[in-house]
Amino acid sequence: MNKRMLKAAIGLIVLAGLLVVPRFVESPYALHMMILLFLSVSQGQSWNILGGYAGQYSVGHAAYFGVGAYTTMMLMYSKQVAPWVGVWAGVAAVIAVALVIGSICFRLRGPYFVLASIAVAEIMRLSAINLTTLTNGAEGILVTEIPAFKIGERVVTDFLTKVPFYYIGLFLALLTLAIAYWVQHSKLGYYFQAIREDQDAAHSLGIHISVYKNIGLVISAVLTSLAGSFYGIYVGFVDPPTVLGLDVSVQIMLICIIGGMGTIWGPVLGSLLLVPLSEALRSNMITEGLVKIGLVSADSKVGLFLKENLAHAHVLIYGILVVLVILFMPDGLMGFVKKLASRRKREAA
Amino acid sequence: MRKHLLALGAVLALSPCLMAQKIGVINSMSGPEAPIGEHITNGIKLAEEDLKKKGINLQLVWEDDTGKPQISMSAMEKLATRDNVVGVVGPYTSACSNAVAKLAEKYRVPLLIPAAAKEEITRQGLKYVFRMNAPADKYASSLIDAAAALGKPKSIAFIYENTDFGTSTSKTAKEYVAKKGMQVVADEPYPKGAADYRSTLAKVKSKNPDLVFMVSYVADAILLMRQSKEVGLQPQAFLGAGAGFTTPEFAKERAISENVISCTQWTGDVNWPGAKEFEARFKAKFGKEPTYHAACAYASMMIMAETARNAGGDRTKTQQGLKAGKWNGVMGEVQFADYEGFTNQNNHQMLVQQIINGNYETVLPAKFATKKPIFPFPKWK
Amino acid sequence: MAVFLQSLISGVLIGGVYALIGIGLTLIFGVMRVINFAHGDIMMVGMYLTYLLFTLMGVDPFVSVLISFPLMFFFGGFLQKVFINRVLNAVAQNQILLTIGLGLVMSNTVMLIFTSDYKILTTSYSSSTIQVGGGVSISTPLLVSFLITAVITAALGWFLLKTDTGQAIRATAQDRDAAQLMGINVSRMSVIAFGLGAALAGTAGALISPTYYIFPQVGGTFTLKAFVITVLGGMGSVVGATLGGILIGITESMSAVYISSGWKDVVVFVLFLLVLLFKPSGLMGKSRT
Repeated sequence: MNKRMLKAAIGLIVLAGLLVVPRFVESPYALHMMILLFLSVSQGQSWNILGGYAGQYSVGHAAYFGVGAYTTMMLMYSKQVAPWVGVWAGVAAVIAVALVIGSICFRLRGPYFVLASIAVAEIMRLSAINLTTLTNGAEGILVTEIPAFKIGERVVTDFLTKVPFYYIGLFLALLTLAIAYWVQHSKLGYYFQAIREDQDAAHSLGIHISVYKNIGLVISAVLTSLAGSFYGIYVGFVDPPTVLGLDVSVQIMLICIIGGMGTIWGPVLGSLLLVPLSEALRSNMITEGLVKIGLVSADSKVGLFLKENLAHAHVLIYGILVVLVILFMPDGLMGFVKKLASRRKREAA
Repeated sequence: MRKHLLALGAVLALSPCLMAQKIGVINSMSGPEAPIGEHITNGIKLAEEDLKKKGINLQLVWEDDTGKPQISMSAMEKLATRDNVVGVVGPYTSACSNAVAKLAEKYRVPLLIPAAAKEEITRQGLKYVFRMNAPADKYASSLIDAAAALGKPKSIAFIYENTDFGTSTSKTAKEYVAKKGMQVVADEPYPKGAADYRSTLAKVKSKNPDLVFMVSYVADAILLMRQSKEVGLQPQAFLGAGAGFTTPEFAKERAISENVISCTQWTGDVNWPGAKEFEARFKAKFGKEPTYHAACAYASMMIMAETARNAGGDRTKTQQGLKAGKWNGVMGEVQFADYEGFTNQNNHQMLVQQIINGNYETVLPAKFATKKPIFPFPKWK
Repeated sequence: MAVFLQSLISGVLIGGVYALIGIGLTLIFGVMRVINFAHGDIMMVGMYLTYLLFTLMGVDPFVSVLISFPLMFFFGGFLQKVFINRVLNAVAQNQILLTIGLGLVMSNTVMLIFTSDYKILTTSYSSSTIQVGGGVSISTPLLVSFLITAVITAALGWFLLKTDTGQAIRATAQDRDAAQLMGINVSRMSVIAFGLGAALAGTAGALISPTYYIFPQVGGTFTLKAFVITVLGGMGSVVGATLGGILIGITESMSAVYISSGWKDVVVFVLFLLVLLFKPSGLMGKSRT
């Protein structure tokens, strides 16, 4: 069996495993964590297409996430449009927004592009706050009832359990993964990488830079918008800070950069690290775990201190982690893994 | 039935092999909402102490939602399905409460929200969702009724933070003044944490309103009043809604806070049973004065834990217990009732207070009043 | 007319403080080409320093600048040497993330120490004013902080133009490689520039504290403002940042009156985008392409 077949076999087994998870796992909490993981993978992967492959470091992806989420939710809230229809309206809106943003921001390079992307996302956030008749302003939009999804008379799902969300999330994550794979192995991907490595050289090779940048942006924005719509429907509530805030943009790029940019598995690795870690820190599971394995006693000074402070300090730990990864694994986890693998290879040879 | 439950509870309480009551807490312990979240945490810690004294064995599972709805959902999922808690107290913010409420209903976990303001939360007919505090509309009606009772104001200006709480409170207030025949002469939402409100205030001043209605959650209240003094804004009354106007720090700024009328869910000097003691103990233990959030959280935890104990740790019975029960404590009389489209909402009495000689004095309603109100607002010195 | 004058005056005065934050950022960017996302958080550290000096030792916030300026300078130098220096040649997004990470560490460490309570510095003059007639007033502490800002900016200008170190910093900003070839100790200039940037941000924090309030997450808004100011003035230009700061102060204040206070930040960001599009080198910056 050659290496490629082995990889494909592993992939198929993991996929099959993921497909049957809801049959065996009943805990809604576990499914919820899986859904968050899928959401994070699709966010990170969407960013990866523009940021990782084409080298355009947008710190304003919240704009696309938020516009997707808002469009779907607004249509569901005020016009009772079913979300699986509204999603496409969200995509259309995002394409329009992305093209406008692209026409402004892609005239700029490097740090100027970064700052412009932030400014545009902030304008979107502030507009969502101020356009109260359209978006319900800071109060946000709450939709608790999702209509049942029917084909003909048959109810496919009524969205009452986590299972449909699990599959939608899984589909979304796989979709972004597939598109990233396609981008990496297509001509488009080579153009993107040429632009990332040296814009002027790419230009002199006859690559139409602004066209390809915009293509990258639109793909990335549409996928981010799908993730946003999914978030809105799943949580049932959107408001300006939670879907359009600057920290949403930062979180999206963090997943990808920590995992490894410009690689297919980077965002997956990043999500596998960040999602469980932040949940474990937040809910004090680390202290619980330490107590359970007997390292610290629950009533000892250390135990009490950890219990008292660790939950408060989780953003601090998150920050420290970011600093350490950037300093010691500048190519993210994926780069680190690759380095280890090549070292082993060399040693073997 | 209720007697029955109580008897059952008593039997269970006496049985030595009784498990601790597992109750979840969802709160914003970090993130931008953390300053208020801390008061809620401390209120609950005090309740934990008191419950222990009462012999209620409590095991609290703390969850930080960092102020984000999706995270509070994670917390609720975990509490409901992994930790199997009897009930949950929290979350703090309206956004999080909204997201969590439908999960509580789904998993049939009694949820007692201590201090979220958004009206809709208890207007969805959710049976497992209870709320301790009065929702946002009460701020508006209590304050404007108070001003109308004191003078004959004809015009009003609104200055409010453009957050969920600020916009929804002033929205209901605008509807309310329209009914009272008052004219809205200025409507100014501002972004929380701006350094300079002078231009906005100068604009408001030029409209010469009888009343200035402000909604600020935090230290913005101090800034707004300082700068009102600077530009010489001089209405008949300053009406402050929201926690920013009811903090001890605000009262300490006597040059600018004197005679400001505000309304709150709770004060330390109100004659509700245990309120004064609560304030004193809170101050001794945590080194600062409690806000109303702390009192709401304390009362919520006391009620939730006792009800859960009496229900023998059964979720449905706890829900029934909360629905049927009636309490009288630091928050005054508490009863979760269905009225005016609300479900399981405590029809809480808001207190209108004024800062007189550097102290918060309750001025309305008359039966709780400690001082007579000062009206109109004296000229700035 | 009174409204217009009032808005103009307070816009200019608050703009002075903005300018100080912007100058710090522009120095750092000019010398290192690093966009410092932790700039607002550094300012926050300066605010807590002022708070500590005021509550523990009774040092007046304006006087405390004399102490916090050097302390913040060393803090900035330390940040540069230990962290920023390692990513100077890294890709831009890593620099951004590093500074974001440092900002998170700073704000959350402060939160663990001081809790997330809002701290108010109440001085005897916190709400005192000077009446200029026509119903227009000037906040005394804001006026004082504006004057201090002016002095500091002038001193900084003198330092950059007249001293050897200042000239070396400017040379590094102009062309890092050429400066190195000319025998300038570029890495030392980077440490000094970052230290100065941090000291200026910290000073801005100190100056604003008598009229503002302090909490661990206060940095975010100011970081964004600093970006806008820096770009407006031209990245790396001290004079530009000064003008940019005042311009932003006036824009905010005027749009709050004549448009709406809810939209004033949108106006600022739109102005920012327009400058980026039509004069990307900023008001005072020279084109660098």
